[in-house]
Amino acid sequence: MQALLFILFAGLAIGCAISMVAQRNPLYSAISLIGVFIALACLYVTLAAPFIAAVQVIVYAGAIMVLVVFVIMLLNVEEPERQPMRLRSLVPIAVMLAAVLFAEAVFIIYFVQASPATPTRNVSDVGLTRSIGEGLFTTYLLPFEITSILLLMAIVGAMTLARTSGLLSSRAAVVPGDQVFAKEMLDRQKYVDLLTPVTAHSTEEAKRLLGVEDQDQSPKP
Amino acid sequence: MTPQLSWYLALSAVLFTIGVVGVMIKRNVISMFMCIELMLNAVNLTFVAFSSFFRDLSGQLFVFIVMTVAAAEAAVGLGIIIAIFRNRESLDVDDASTLKL
Repeated sequence: MQALLFILFAGLAIGCAISMVAQRNPLYSAISLIGVFIALACLYVTLAAPFIAAVQVIVYAGAIMVLVVFVIMLLNVEEPERQPMRLRSLVPIAVMLAAVLFAEAVFIIYFVQASPATPTRNVSDVGLTRSIGEGLFTTYLLPFEITSILLLMAIVGAMTLARTSGLLSSRAAVVPGDQVFAKEMLDRQKYVDLLTPVTAHSTEEAKRLLGVEDQDQSPKP
Repeated sequence: MTPQLSWYLALSAVLFTIGVVGVMIKRNVISMFMCIELMLNAVNLTFVAFSSFFRDLSGQLFVFIVMTVAAAEAAVGLGIIIAIFRNRESLDVDDASTLKL
């Protein structure tokens, strides 16, 4: 029964992985990758690791892949035409090297049998949420805290990469012409009467009113 | 017949190899990114298999941390991809062959 489940989910994982590499459309690749993640989560369950299985589905198949699919749909690149393969002369050498690698793998699988016996599994509490929590907050407290710093760095890095310049985001770029700004952003000492909207007639005037400097001075390509 | 540890290791090696092949043959940045995720998952499978067969908790904790790193990588990596696309109007890695944005 266990072997049947392993073969089922391993086949599913490998099939989805090959499909992911073979697809040309990134969206289909993403969906195949979600299949791989689900199959791996099922394998984790058979390995008596239910917590990791749940986290696999929630974090990988949920959060990360939603982010990837979101970016794919946001960028929405049309299919490029097939380019001719460069370095075509190297193909026979690549095939030969692949054959050598395959021969090595076969050699190792058939002739290296003297591996130590693996211990047998029996019922234990390894993999339960309780034991993982205890390990995470006692023995492995320092890596856990370092992980939080890593996440903070990821947040700051993503924000820095996402916005282009200065106080204003790229969406709220200051454009020439008549434009009304949010009153909270303006200098309150200078404009006591906050009930009337303030109008700027040029980019420089808007920048002066907002008190921001455009950091991105280089012209866009 | 129960699955042996070597079965899981073989499956992990196969998945990792597929990921490496994908990184090498893909031209789309997002596809390469997903292949890297596949490689991370193959290593996670190795960790969980060892942890389960040797009844040691450390492997699963390491998987937890690897998942956190993968999430951070997804956030920053996709930010970089969007920045590249904004500047070059392309997701082809051959178009982004210089470090200058």
